[in-house]
Amino acid sequence: MKTHVSAIYAAIGALGLLLAGCSGGSGEPTAANAGNGKDLEVVSFQGGFGIEFFQKAAKEYEAKHAGVHITVTGGPRVWEQLRPRFANGTPPSLTWPGWGMDYWALIYDKQVFPLDDALKTPAADGKTVWKDTFDASLLKLGEYQGKQYELPYHYNIMGWWYNPDTFAKHGWKVPKTFKELVDLCPKIKAAGMAPITYQGMYPDYTIKGFLFPWAISVGGIKAADDAQSLVPGAWKSDAFLQAAKMVKQLRDSGFFEDGASGLSHTQSQTDFLAGKAAFIPCGTWLESEMRKTMPPGAKMAFMLPPVVDGGKGDPSAIMIGIEPWIIPTGGSNHDLAIDFYKYMTSLDKAKQFITECGTLTAIKGSDQVTLPPLLVEPARLFRESKTVYSIQFDTWYSTLGTESKNAMAALLNGSNTPEQFVDRLEAAAEKVRQDKSKPVHKMTH
Amino acid sequence: MRNRGRTAFIISYLAPAVILYGVFVILPVLQAVGFSLFKWSGLSSKKTYVGFDNFKQLFHDNVFWEALLHNAWIFVFGGTAILVIAIAVAHGMQGESKLTKTLRGVYLFPNIMSLVVVAILWEFVYDPHIGLVTSLVKLFGGSAKPNPLAPIQDTSILGNPTKALPAVIITFVWFAVGFYIMLFSAGIRQIPQEVAEASKLDGAEGIFRFRKITLPLLWSVGRISVIYIVINTLNVFALVYLMTQGGPDRKTEVMLTYLYEQAFVNSDYGAATALAIANFVIVMAVSGIVMGLTRKDPSGAHH
Repeated sequence: MKTHVSAIYAAIGALGLLLAGCSGGSGEPTAANAGNGKDLEVVSFQGGFGIEFFQKAAKEYEAKHAGVHITVTGGPRVWEQLRPRFANGTPPSLTWPGWGMDYWALIYDKQVFPLDDALKTPAADGKTVWKDTFDASLLKLGEYQGKQYELPYHYNIMGWWYNPDTFAKHGWKVPKTFKELVDLCPKIKAAGMAPITYQGMYPDYTIKGFLFPWAISVGGIKAADDAQSLVPGAWKSDAFLQAAKMVKQLRDSGFFEDGASGLSHTQSQTDFLAGKAAFIPCGTWLESEMRKTMPPGAKMAFMLPPVVDGGKGDPSAIMIGIEPWIIPTGGSNHDLAIDFYKYMTSLDKAKQFITECGTLTAIKGSDQVTLPPLLVEPARLFRESKTVYSIQFDTWYSTLGTESKNAMAALLNGSNTPEQFVDRLEAAAEKVRQDKSKPVHKMTH
Repeated sequence: MRNRGRTAFIISYLAPAVILYGVFVILPVLQAVGFSLFKWSGLSSKKTYVGFDNFKQLFHDNVFWEALLHNAWIFVFGGTAILVIAIAVAHGMQGESKLTKTLRGVYLFPNIMSLVVVAILWEFVYDPHIGLVTSLVKLFGGSAKPNPLAPIQDTSILGNPTKALPAVIITFVWFAVGFYIMLFSAGIRQIPQEVAEASKLDGAEGIFRFRKITLPLLWSVGRISVIYIVINTLNVFALVYLMTQGGPDRKTEVMLTYLYEQAFVNSDYGAATALAIANFVIVMAVSGIVMGLTRKDPSGAHH
């Protein structure tokens, strides 16, 4: 999901610090963006899915509503342009600011319009209550203190990928449990492949692909909920320690691809697709991200991370992540923004999004289309899962998120033991608990 | 009367520059000083005055000191390498033959490349599988005898806690050195022919002439170079951000990558501006110290 090359914008962003400084401004909506009630500015993150779908939706909406004028713009690091606009009180009417935006800081600063009242009104079909058209487990991820601030559109499912052709050729069975995995790995090595590769430069992949699935498998979903809710001691619980030990075991056994700690997401994913490694942790965006560089005939299939033998956790537990849209408080024409988003979340548009952009959406029933082949299995696992969860601590508490990534890198390259790893995480969690300026979030199942 | 007219004349000519400088340089700096006294997300107009808390926190922040130390390593090792290579190459490239002119262009080439391109290029050089470094190590038998102490043979460079910073420093030197070769080449060309010839007649040759004649006469160029190196190493950002994002586990974190994290990941603009001011003060202080230490020109020339 990270457009690495465009990281040059990071440098520009650092300059933005100065620019934002130049334009201090007030947070009140100004006459300039009050609009005439018919204009709508939509700003969207422009990643693997592009923004053409939203632009097309805007044209359709305009055709149905005389006088309405909608502009849809975007960029690969659009949050950097949006930051000063929020600071100046001139944000767009509706936006998906992308993974680099600090949504929660916006919410704490009352820059995001709560949508509870809107969700009680009828959806685009005029019959269903809008709220009921969303998958409840995805909608609740946008809540804060009982109010709905973020709305999901599409969502990703996190898991592992393997090449079914390679497995068939060697007669390997897809491992369901960690023991099966550990037994299989030497056979994979003997066949001249690395068992597992990972995105070493971005340790959030391994936190989501190894640590959390295994901590949940050992200690049940409560272990993860407690950690994300900053319950004292939760980060150094047995569940997380065992999960860290499993990572170390794979490392010490030489089951990770040589040099993986120095691989970027694209490098490791390229290695996986080239058949250098048998497994890789990644989300359902993998295909859209790698489409351009995928070797012809490369095959892949989705699987849940192998579970711990005899663990307490639900083996059907599945990790998802939403890409939220928000309506900025300071934006113009809230009602029009809501109505346009209702149009985008109508069942027809959501189905279209799945077929055109190749990713699942949060609208109930939208997966009742001919899914892109690679989404069939993740969608089935999601539907049948009794425990759907999401990683939110890293965006709720950015310092803990950063420390978890740093500690994960240290665990993976062997400079931290599993004990040091969980101690570091607990210490970082304690620091957040001590910081009374940080709002507290609770996660339950 | 005449004097007043002259003053008005001077003021009218200076005013545009002074106003531009004031509005676009002085004012933002003062504003930054102002922001550093607030707790501010940078996402709204909500600011809370906290006095010098941001600076106190910065002072007690281990990450800041670790980052500063990495800046210092880049300055010491990168800076030394740049000076040695630049002076040696410039000395060896005297004269105006076609070859030296071509070489000067070649050495400057990395410097005119975009940093994004440089970072991507070196990511390939350091790639654990197809990278130049791994290939060279393999070529010279590095993989022939596996280290029995390491359970896995780690070819990762940018992901390795001890190799990542040296790798970034090498890239930095590769990128920057051409500019300093240019500077020293120009400096050597400035040395009067008479001095060079007189020293030759007196029997000063080779390394002796280089040490006693060329080097002292390059003093002012060297001084400027060191100041440049101070500024460029303490303000390094894009290269590190693009190559490692400060990782693994902060082993390549520098002041400005941490500033970026504070501003854009932690939404703590107050802390970020406090760091920016600390960075500014450190650059000024180190530059001042370098100026002071190098004031005495061993060639005896007074500028």
